[in-house]
Amino acid sequence: MLELKNIFRWYNSGVNRAFVLRDVSLNIEQGEFVSIMGPSGSGKSTLLHILGMMDEPNEGEYSFLGENVLKIKEKQRAELYKKHIGFVFQAYHLIDELTVYENIETPLLYHGIGSSERKSMVADILDRFNIVGKKDLFPNQLSGGQQQLVGIARAIITKPNLILADEPTGNLNSKQGQEIMELFKTLNDEGVTIIQVTHSEKNATYGSRVIELLDGRIER
Amino acid sequence: MIQNYLKIAIRNLLRNKVFSAINIVGLALGIATCLVIMLFVYDELSYDRFNEKTDRIFRVVFKASINDGKINEANVMPPTAQVLKNDYPEVLAATRLRTSGSPEIIYQNKKFKEHDFASVDANFFDVFTLPLLKGDAKTALREPNTAVITQDFAKKYFGDENPIGKVLFIKSWNENYKVTGLIDKVPHNSHFHFDIFGSMAGVKDAQAASWMTSGYFTYLVLPEDFDYKVLEAKLPQVIKKYMGPQIQTAMGMSLSQFLQKGNQLGLFLQPLTSIHFDEGFTGTLEPSGNIQYVYIFGAIAVFMLLIACINFMNLSTAGASKRAKEVGVRKVLGSIKQDLISQFLFESILLSVVALLLSLMLVQLSLPVFNDLAEKDLQLDFLKNPLLLIAFLVFGLLVGVLAGSYPAFFLSSFNPVEVLKGKFKLAGKSISLRSGLVVFQFFISIALIIGTTVVYQQIKFIQSKDLGYAKDQLLIMRNTWSLGKNEEVFRQQILQDPRVLSVTSAGYLPAGPSDSNNSMGYPDSDESQVMRTLEYKIDEQYIPTMGMKVIAGRNFSKDFATDSTAMIINETAAKAFGWGKNAVGHTITRLKNNDGLKVTYSIIGVVKDFHFKSLHENITPLLMVSEKTYGLTIKVKGKDVEGLLASLKNQWQKFNVEEPFSYSFMDELFEKTYQSEQKISVILSIFSGLTIFVACLGLFGLATFTAEQRTKEIGVRKVLGASVSQIVTLLSKEFLKLVLIACGFAFPIGYWLMNKWLQDFAYRIEISAWIFVLAGILALFIALLTISYQAIKAALANPVTSLRTE
Ligand SMILES: Nc1ncnc2c1ncn2[C@@H]1O[C@H](COP(=O)(O)OP(=O)(O)O)[C@@H](O)[C@H]1O
Ligand SMILES: [Mg+2]
Repeated sequence: MLELKNIFRWYNSGVNRAFVLRDVSLNIEQGEFVSIMGPSGSGKSTLLHILGMMDEPNEGEYSFLGENVLKIKEKQRAELYKKHIGFVFQAYHLIDELTVYENIETPLLYHGIGSSERKSMVADILDRFNIVGKKDLFPNQLSGGQQQLVGIARAIITKPNLILADEPTGNLNSKQGQEIMELFKTLNDEGVTIIQVTHSEKNATYGSRVIELLDGRIER
Repeated sequence: MIQNYLKIAIRNLLRNKVFSAINIVGLALGIATCLVIMLFVYDELSYDRFNEKTDRIFRVVFKASINDGKINEANVMPPTAQVLKNDYPEVLAATRLRTSGSPEIIYQNKKFKEHDFASVDANFFDVFTLPLLKGDAKTALREPNTAVITQDFAKKYFGDENPIGKVLFIKSWNENYKVTGLIDKVPHNSHFHFDIFGSMAGVKDAQAASWMTSGYFTYLVLPEDFDYKVLEAKLPQVIKKYMGPQIQTAMGMSLSQFLQKGNQLGLFLQPLTSIHFDEGFTGTLEPSGNIQYVYIFGAIAVFMLLIACINFMNLSTAGASKRAKEVGVRKVLGSIKQDLISQFLFESILLSVVALLLSLMLVQLSLPVFNDLAEKDLQLDFLKNPLLLIAFLVFGLLVGVLAGSYPAFFLSSFNPVEVLKGKFKLAGKSISLRSGLVVFQFFISIALIIGTTVVYQQIKFIQSKDLGYAKDQLLIMRNTWSLGKNEEVFRQQILQDPRVLSVTSAGYLPAGPSDSNNSMGYPDSDESQVMRTLEYKIDEQYIPTMGMKVIAGRNFSKDFATDSTAMIINETAAKAFGWGKNAVGHTITRLKNNDGLKVTYSIIGVVKDFHFKSLHENITPLLMVSEKTYGLTIKVKGKDVEGLLASLKNQWQKFNVEEPFSYSFMDELFEKTYQSEQKISVILSIFSGLTIFVACLGLFGLATFTAEQRTKEIGVRKVLGASVSQIVTLLSKEFLKLVLIACGFAFPIGYWLMNKWLQDFAYRIEISAWIFVLAGILALFIALLTISYQAIKAALANPVTSLRTE
């Protein structure tokens, strides 16, 4: 599904280059559930951002669904996000001014989906995640686990075939984290590719494959 | 999508109530000020443009320089119109207007004293677009003693009856005028306003072939796209051909001799549209507008709007960190930059629409006040002027785009990775830009403070200037001409009153309405030195009553029979004729009009210069002769003016004249001369107050943001032992630095501009340093006051709570 070849990512600090990713090559197939692990600062988020096209490598090649996606225009990138990718963040990143319902609805607006269809899609998801009763609340009225549920609901409502999650359970207690993981498992069973960053060995066991990062290199 | 934007926008507005209020109020004030000023500017620039032939109408004016005395007259000699029409085929039409004093007009039992009577040529309504509601424009004024009147005038005399055919009796000239036409009214933006236009056909003087008199406002219609300079270049021939012979007769020298002495004179053309702003002409129909004020106000309008927009930009970018997350999330959800730009633009346009509505209310509320101050009749009437509504909406849209564009591009360009990593910090660039904007706002504010102070100072200076006469306690009665010979009787009666010091009988006054007379004369029989000067006809009481000083020789006196050919001149005249301090004993020979009569006067005294023109102009040579004119000026002693007036009125009524008892005070007339400056100073201070207020609104918002953003830092510092005052200083310092930088720009520019404004006054103040010190301190003080509220609030906050919020 996606393939990284000899990816380098560095920051210039003074005269030196501070390498964050060194020569990372990676191949991920449709339907995989990959966990990226590694100590803090090892470049996990950076890798995920590059996979999600939010960040660009300084060197290397990246093809997504057979298409070379480096140096594509912002418009095409937005198009790819829309069609294929859903993001889940450690800090949820819901829009504070919008209600649960509206947050989930927002990506549909960018997809140009009609209002009645939007309504039924959002209703379905609310139903599935068991948060119908919360739909008119604002993010700050929800617990962390509920917010993350909304974040995931928002990520999958457009039926992406790739979900990128950066420490999705990082701010949650273990029970909440387990629920989220179960949810990912179900989604993966439905055919959605999932790439998550996690610190928890237990969470990693939900996945089909673990990638260990150390100092910007893939160790395993 | 719009719905989504609208929701976010409204929730954002409500959540940040303070900033929303600052933005909306600031923008509304900016827009309102801008609108009022735009209405004013539009009105000023629209003068005389209601005429269909606006661009083809030109006024003939007379300019001369005779022995270095400059003459610029707005009206010309009676034959000019006819001659130009006859001699030059490009003159398609020529028409004249002459003012005809203030006659008393009677119809049946209705009797009024009219001020706006003009005599005009028959083709006047062909040249100017003043459509006749009744009567025929082509023929109405062909016959002598016919008149076209305005509707108000008709109503006053004839009520609802048809005015056509009615006959008005002009008592002052003992003539009848038949009404042959009716117009609505002369538009307010015309350079002349009359209620009654009488036919010139019967006016004898109008047929005179004299090139040595003037008084005729002469307008030409030229062909479409004709360059009037071409015609103007031919006008010296007219002077040579027609005026030359008459100069020979009057002055005893030929025109070319006259010109060889360095004198100049000629006819020139003035486009109709520039009449309103052309200053420096004497004998105009109405005081001219001042293009400077159009510029000044226009600049204020632009600045005001800019400042309001800057507030908006500043607050939006300062608040950017709050919106940053939203931008990042939206981008990751598939929004492209353009979507975000339109979202933020949508928000700012929404805000400006709200501000626009508020500003409408403000304009409606403030227009009456402004109209009163500016002596205008401006209206914001969308029904009458749908174009105004469109302009208004477009304007609101523009303001929204202008204010919103920078924040929109700024916000929408955030990099989602950085934003969502929580590493987001406002780039240094945006902070320095924001500082720049604050500097700009305060630059404008300080410059306005300086401007307002200088204007105020100059006006005070004028009011306290030694005028060379004592304007206080002078009571003026101008219409004593109606007493005829009894004026002297009345004068003697007044003198009996213990509350009266002295009384002079003369129509010439140094301020307010005055008789006026210019005459040609030359000193010591040297005809080559001929000079045109102003002349006062006064009596021997005049100089002491006015409190003027004779600095050489003596005043006129009843004891000298020869005083009928004696003359007193002012210091400037003594200098101009080259006599300096030794003027007494010299002679001046005056040319009595164009019939060649000459009378020689010997100088018996020199009067200390006094200001008989506005202080915009230098004192010019002035000659005073002892001759009877009407009008009494009374020097009052003590405080009982009310009582004196009552007894004067009583005595006046005993003479049984039709003129009502009326009076004025010299000091009030003097004030009136500077009314326009005074009003400008009031308007200017209001506008600068508003501008400063809006700038402070913005500063307040910024201070709030800064305090919020630095909450954690403040908490840490307090835990480490910083005192409240140290923290207040910390927060205020940066802003005060910006105000100081603004001073650095405002001082030189303010100085330069106000110096330029002062050049308009012949007598003016020096701009002193303390004005700048004052403006700087005032700005600092206002800024400090604005910031300190937030700074103190932040400094007093409990550090534990502020640390926990992070
Ligand atoms: N904008 C940046 N400038 C310089 N260094 C950065 C920047 N962003 C991230 N880094 C560095 O890159 C490294 C990897 O970061 P990250 O991918 O977030 O690690 P992880 O998610 O594994 O904790 C870290 O050492 C971090 O300091
Ligand atoms: Mg990370």
